[in-house]
This record gives sequence, structure tokens and C-alpha cells, in this order.
Amino acid sequence: MKVFYGQRAWLLQRASALALLLILALGAALLLVGPPLTYERWHGLATSPHGAVIIVLFFAALSLHGWIGARDIVLDYVHSLPVRLSVLAIIAVILFAVVIRVALTMAAQLSLVS
Amino acid sequence: MRISIYRYNPETGTDPYMQDYTIEPEPGDKKLLDVLMRLKTVDDSLSFRRSCREGVCGSDAMNINGRNGLACITALSALKEPVVLRPLPGFPVIRDLVVDMTQFFAHYHAIKPYLINDGVPPERERLQTPEQRERLDGLYECILCACCSAFCPSYWWNPDKFIGPAGLLQAYRFIVDSRDTATAERLAYLDDVYRLYRCRTIMNCTEVCPKGLSPSHAIERIRIALLRASS
Ligand code: SF4
Ligand code: SF4
Ligand code: FES
Repeated sequence: MKVFYGQRAWLLQRASALALLLILALGAALLLVGPPLTYERWHGLATSPHGAVIIVLFFAALSLHGWIGARDIVLDYVHSLPVRLSVLAIIAVILFAVVIRVALTMAAQLSLVS
Repeated sequence: MRISIYRYNPETGTDPYMQDYTIEPEPGDKKLLDVLMRLKTVDDSLSFRRSCREGVCGSDAMNINGRNGLACITALSALKEPVVLRPLPGFPVIRDLVVDMTQFFAHYHAIKPYLINDGVPPERERLQTPEQRERLDGLYECILCACCSAFCPSYWWNPDKFIGPAGLLQAYRFIVDSRDTATAERLAYLDDVYRLYRCRTIMNCTEVCPKGLSPSHAIERIRIALLRASS
């Protein structure tokens, strides 16, 4: 088994970048059209089921994209195996925690609203 | 003309240093190599490689004023003084401007730079249509001078694992060859986080190639070929 993928990582990097761009464009569109973006409107958007899913997806794509980018930097510059493994582990834990945290927060919000 | 040259002699045990020379080019001296040859008659301890003196053998690649190039096709008139000459960056120095190309050629050999076709050979030759032949243009002209690989940041960081622009351009030359039947094996070998995917499309390779080739474009084509092969 390959620990570090070649083509698959490269593809995921591009796919996640595309997802991020689309979601950011959606966010920009929301800024530009519709009623002013007050706290209430943000809250309503974020706690609607669609909004919550999109926010979780955004952070998942962000983490995935960040993981591949950070992994590439580590593969380039960190050549000592123990240091490399530690740095990769720290990055992985942080990125994973971010996604879990966002998912839990959104789930909590949703259950509060419903 | 003022020239500053990187000097290193492993036998003396001293650290590398830059040596300044002043030399007047003769009227017939048009290229940097002409002046280097003249310098060699003054200081025969100066070492550099050269052979064809017309840009086809690839042996006199060096870093000229911060940019990799072939001394034999670098016009003197275009050079800012003092001309600073260093060995190819990232390559182990053997002596002065002479670098160790062992690893570079090991990558070249690893991509199997020869036609693989176990089919029964036709009586005369394996024919190609003009279109099939055209696909080799921009690839077969590579003289393996290493200007590109020695200008590629990704190759500087992982010269032992990343094949580098020169090797990848050569790999694509055989992937795209209609007479070669080992395309799948070639692609499978390259689908690796180091061998191919260390390339970040920085495009230094294309920028610097003295033959005007585009390794980064060849690398892009390999990625697309891999994508096609896996879908
Ligand atoms: S691609 Fe260009 S720079 Fe690279 S080895 Fe070939 S001729 Fe030299
Ligand atoms: S395009 Fe790729 S191979 Fe060429 S210099 Fe950049 S990283 Fe190196
Ligand atoms: S001497 Fe042959 S390429 Fe310059």
C-alpha cells in the first residue's frame, strides 16, 4: 500500500479547490444580493439544513486541501523521518479536529433550531 | 571583460571560493565558451566540460549570471559584467564548474529511455503517420544538458526521488510514441508522489531550457495521460 498517493492526492487537491471556489462564490453572491447581511440573516443561513451542510462541506474541503498542501511542503522540506511523522501527525490532528468541531457545532445549532 | 568563477579543488582541501579574472576577448570570440577556452590557456587549472561548442552535446551547462545555460551558445554581448559563473545549482560539485551527473542520469535510465515493443518487427521499419511523428517534436530535441533540472526548486529539494523535468520530458517522449507498447507500465511507474508529483508547475524548467523545449508542458501531458488511463 502506498502511504502517499500520487495522482489521487493531486486530483483531490484540485477537486477540493473547486469545491472551495464554488462555495466562496456562493458566499459572495449572498453578500451581493438579498437583504443586508445582519446577524439574524447570517444565523438563519447557517442554521438552515442546507447552510449547515454547505458549511461543513466547506471546512471538510478546506481541511483536505490544507492536508495535501501541507503534506507536500513537509515532503519537500522535512527529510528526517521522525520529525516528518510528528509534523504530519500534528497537522492531521489539527485539520481533523477543525472538521469535527465544525460538524458538531452545526449539528448542535440545527438541533437547537428544530 | 571581467569574469568571476566558482573554484573548488577537492585535492587542496580548501573551501570553494570565487576567483576574479580579467580577460580581453579577441575579435573572433562571440560566445562565452570562447572566452572560457581563452582563460584556460592562461590558467590551466580551471576545469569545465565542453565538447561540441555548438549547443548539441549538452556538456557545458553552467549557471551564468544566476541562470542556467550553455556557455557555447551564450552570446558575450548579452552578458552583464562581471560575468558570474557557477556550477549547476543543486548538483554535487566535482571540481570548479564540473558537476556530478550520476543521479541525473540514473533518473533518465529509470524512465527506460528506449522504445519498448515486443511485437514482431516489420521487415523494414515501424512506420508512423506524419501526425504521429509530429507528437515527438519538442521532445526528441532534448540534449540532456540538465539546465532545467538544475533550475527546478522541486528537484533541489528531492533530487534523489523526483525524476525532474529532463527525465519527465524524456519519459513523455516515449509515452507519446505510437511505436511504443509499454505506455501503461511507463505511466504506472510515474504515478508516484515523488517521481512525478513533486512538480509544482513552477515552470523554471521551461523558462531556462536552452533548446527552447517545455518540460512543464510534457509533465502536464503526462498528468493528463494518467488521468485518462485511470478513468
Ligand atoms: S529539456 Fe532542455 S534544459 Fe532540460 S535537459 Fe533537455 S535540453 Fe536541457
Ligand atoms: S514545472 Fe515542475 S519540473 Fe519544471 S521547474 Fe517547475 S516544479 Fe520543476
Ligand atoms: S559544448 Fe556542447 S552544448 Fe555547449
